[in-house]
Amino acid sequence: MTAVNYDSELRRAGAHATHGWRRLAFLAQRYVLGTFGLFIMILFVWTALSADLIARYDPLTVDSAHRLASPSWAHWLGTDSFGRDVWSRIIHGARISLAVGIGSTALGCTIGVFVGLISGYLSGWVDLVFQRITDILQSLPLLVLALVMTAALGPSLPNVIVAIAIPLIPTVSRVIRANTLALREQPFVEAAKSIGMSETRIAIRHVLPNTLAPLIVLATAQLGSTILTEASLSFLGLGIPEPYPSWGRMLSESAAEYVRTAPWLVIFPGVAISLAVFGTNLFGDALRDILDPRQRG
Amino acid sequence: MRSVHALGVAALVMQALPDPTFAGEPKSGGIFRIYHRDSPGSASIHEGATYSINIPFMPVFNNLVIFDQHIAQNSQDTIRPELAESWVWSGDGKTLTFKLRKDVKWHDGKPFTSADVKCTFDMVMGKSQQKFRQNPRKSWYDEVNEVTVNGDYEASFNLKRPQPALLSLLASGYTPVYPCHVSPGDMRTKPVGTGPFKFVEFKANESIKLTKNPDYWKKGLPYLDGIEFTIITNRSTAILGFVSGKFDMTFPTEVSIPLLKDVKSQAPNAVCVVEPNNVSTNIIVNSSNPPFDNVDVRRAMAMALDRKAFVQIQFEGQADIGGTMLPAPAGLWAMPKEMLEQIPGYGPNVEKNREDARKLMQKAGYGPDKKLAIKVSTRNIPVYRDPAIILIDQLKSIYIDAELDVVDTAQWFPKVARKDYSLGLNLTGNAVDDPDQSFYENYSCGSERNYTGYCNKEIEKLFDEQSMEKDVNKRKKLVWEIDKKLQEDVARPIIFHSRTGTCWQPYVKNVTIMSNSSYNGYRYEDVWMDK
Amino acid sequence: MFAYIVRRLALMLVTLFGISVIIFVLLRVVPGNIVDILFDAAGFVDPADKANLEKELGLSQPIVVQYFTWISGLLRGDLGYSYVSEKPALQEILPRIPITAKLAGLALLFSASIGIPLGVISAVHQGTRLDYTLRVVSLSGLSLPSFWLGLLILMASVSMFGMMPIFNPNPKTWTEAFAIYAVPAMAVGFRSAALTMRITRSSMLEILRQDYIRTARAKGASENSVNYHHALKNAVLPVITVIGIEAAFLIGGLIVTETVFNIPGIARFLVEALRWRDYPIVQNLVMFIACVVVFTNFVVDLLYAAIDPRIRFGD
Repeated sequence: MTAVNYDSELRRAGAHATHGWRRLAFLAQRYVLGTFGLFIMILFVWTALSADLIARYDPLTVDSAHRLASPSWAHWLGTDSFGRDVWSRIIHGARISLAVGIGSTALGCTIGVFVGLISGYLSGWVDLVFQRITDILQSLPLLVLALVMTAALGPSLPNVIVAIAIPLIPTVSRVIRANTLALREQPFVEAAKSIGMSETRIAIRHVLPNTLAPLIVLATAQLGSTILTEASLSFLGLGIPEPYPSWGRMLSESAAEYVRTAPWLVIFPGVAISLAVFGTNLFGDALRDILDPRQRG
Repeated sequence: MRSVHALGVAALVMQALPDPTFAGEPKSGGIFRIYHRDSPGSASIHEGATYSINIPFMPVFNNLVIFDQHIAQNSQDTIRPELAESWVWSGDGKTLTFKLRKDVKWHDGKPFTSADVKCTFDMVMGKSQQKFRQNPRKSWYDEVNEVTVNGDYEASFNLKRPQPALLSLLASGYTPVYPCHVSPGDMRTKPVGTGPFKFVEFKANESIKLTKNPDYWKKGLPYLDGIEFTIITNRSTAILGFVSGKFDMTFPTEVSIPLLKDVKSQAPNAVCVVEPNNVSTNIIVNSSNPPFDNVDVRRAMAMALDRKAFVQIQFEGQADIGGTMLPAPAGLWAMPKEMLEQIPGYGPNVEKNREDARKLMQKAGYGPDKKLAIKVSTRNIPVYRDPAIILIDQLKSIYIDAELDVVDTAQWFPKVARKDYSLGLNLTGNAVDDPDQSFYENYSCGSERNYTGYCNKEIEKLFDEQSMEKDVNKRKKLVWEIDKKLQEDVARPIIFHSRTGTCWQPYVKNVTIMSNSSYNGYRYEDVWMDK
Repeated sequence: MFAYIVRRLALMLVTLFGISVIIFVLLRVVPGNIVDILFDAAGFVDPADKANLEKELGLSQPIVVQYFTWISGLLRGDLGYSYVSEKPALQEILPRIPITAKLAGLALLFSASIGIPLGVISAVHQGTRLDYTLRVVSLSGLSLPSFWLGLLILMASVSMFGMMPIFNPNPKTWTEAFAIYAVPAMAVGFRSAALTMRITRSSMLEILRQDYIRTARAKGASENSVNYHHALKNAVLPVITVIGIEAAFLIGGLIVTETVFNIPGIARFLVEALRWRDYPIVQNLVMFIACVVVFTNFVVDLLYAAIDPRIRFGD
């Protein structure tokens, strides 16, 4: 992998201004879809952060008088079987999805980077052991591993985050390791070594910053899939427990009972999941194009 | 709107009342297709405590006696002979003797004798060499000293004291007679019975198949060629399957009220019945630890309940409110309404009840600024979780900030046994609408299913008194008193008694859904299909 | 080459061994065991009965002994007995494999027949509106949860045709067989198709940029001939890789889809067995899935090496 230099990348693409807002404006123009994705992501994060302001009702308050109400002015997306406002639940659900998405991606990436760096930098038997562990984790489908992990840890938000993060580790550590191996051969690392810099310092000062670009690309790509995994787990009854308004949970069991009498209970949470994942995917794609030109299309 | 809907369902019930005289001449043949809600752990009725096992396997067996399969309300008066031709109580009420049929053969061809009866009940009482893996209804026979035989065709139950209700327990779907010559292990995987249908195969998570027993001792029965259960755990998939005609009947008592509406709109010809299933949703209170060791807090909690709201949300108004015993008219032992409303928290004015409850809470030191934080533990199954969500919402009104604690099936009873909860939301199913079954099981000192460890020696004496009472009216009065006392003690506050629906295609005849038990009505020997 | 294969095989064994340890330990960490679940139906747990049953099932032995009992059995082809059905685990697992295999095969076929052509088209028309549209479609495909897609398909099929596919082990007609297998396969395959398309597109692009394509162009080969003859032939390589990736990817989709469509395959069986804490079933099923994934990757690597002369076996 190469170190990133997107100024030259921009010049190649024909940009004259390489500073400040104009640069951003140029990027936005060139990557319309990515910008759209970024917009969805910002919306998603903003919704999650200010859920208490946007939501019109408490997402947990039961209202026996207005159960299974179809979408209306009072309840934009209708209410569920407990009379809880679906719009407010989806808004608050963004928090859960975001927490799981960012939490497990961050956790998985951090451990993955650590493992990848050590593995790539130290080589030898440490590398060999880490490589085998990576192999093992990668031979199990993500959902299978996450299923067993949540069953083992029990259903709760932190546990689900851990369960989804662990299968991410090998993917990240693979990329980082390959990158580190390539970087080790680079002249500036050789130079640092020759002036007597310690290995740890070289790793932190020179190797790590240069693996950032592929890491960001990878992390964005994983964000969507972690959200989907949480939804699948919750759908299977092993994810975030009630009463927290997780989108996957909203879709499962009780919502499935109202497939035709209250289709809004099935449609809107599904739309929310798809939209959030779609946004991160769009953005991730554009980011990859910008930061990792080798893979660009 | 609501009342119109209620009327509609009432009409449905009328329409579905089975009336054999108008059913026409029964036709033989056909495979009866039903979906099954989950994969039962085994095929052995005696080792299970769920109707997931009863429903598919009851057709394989016979009892000594059985509740009439076409009278919805089970009672002492509807008990009919089955493997026993007749029965008689001794004068002191301590010996119950059955005369057995002589023309009955097990599905493997061996003859049925009194030895099989003795084997079965010795095993259930835990007295035989061979043991069940688990034996959930051992306590039903606590008053039975021993089962004796007199020749091949007579068996007697010898009791420690009179217990007229024993006959009702023997008439439940939970009480089939097992063959001596088949091991408990084989009964779990390939059961052998004397019933109208023979076991063919049980593929876990896939299907259960039964086929007609051509040598059934009731000549001319059964009408059906076989019964096939397809296991579908996803409710909406299952209902879609019924609506599209893939099944002749839904899994009995498994269609929720909201889903019922869906079925009726999609399959207007389907016959649907709504009946109580004698399952109560209740709260188990940990009174040995704070904060519920304080009787004021316990009372306040019980008084804060808005039972009508539960019924409205979960059942669109169609469920019953009562004490321990199933409410009338389906239930035989429920206390009169006036008596019920005297119990704190049952009065019609919810706001006033809550006002009183708040006073109790303040007395205990809580208030708007000092809320009580607790967890409501329950299982990760919708029928448990849903009422827990409503409960948590209602407790807010009396300064209780509760959080839901969802517990995996494998951890639920161990957790309850450890007393590792403050409030638990629990479901209690009653196989037989009889106080002997529910009182002893759930409230007697030292019973395994008395989760809260409630123990009141005085009430215990009344349990025995009502159990020995032969006069039904006198017994009822006693039962009402006991039930009222249990509620006032907040032993295990009952929130509601649920009702559920069952639907079948119009050509299915002779299915009766019991109105005071969901465990007893699945012999299916004379069910037939008009097509 | 021989040395390479031997080395790869050895590594495969190490990997599988590691998986066996991990899954075994994880399952024992899961709180509660089969006995708790069995007794759950009774409404209480009798400690004496529980101890008896644990002894009968071998759960009271030290964990290391349990592990060696399992592995030595596995090596002899004895997978033990299901705790729940009390039948041999092999007998429970084997009949379910073809069902899932058929589904997975159809899904792969579906994803390849849609994903590869669209990927090629997208690459050839890079930067055009068509390319944009296709990329957005494929990305949205990756964003739809497959269980949601399955639910929507079921809802649609009932409201449009008044019926839905309910699994039947012996479909009588072709249309029935189609409905039973193809519809769920499409629900799973949709996501895979999106993934296939993306990978095909990017590998096509990479190849189109390469020297020999430029040479072909310079030599005056027609654009079509360049795109479809020279480039596609080489793009087959990465597509083989996709299949390797998808082996693992598909299983995830199958778990939820088999649940939605009520198909008694191994993917749903795994979830059910996990719920019952049926260790023999879960352990052996996970090992089976891991074997499939590991072996597929092995074959893919070999194919890759055989086709692409640039790969050295020494790696």
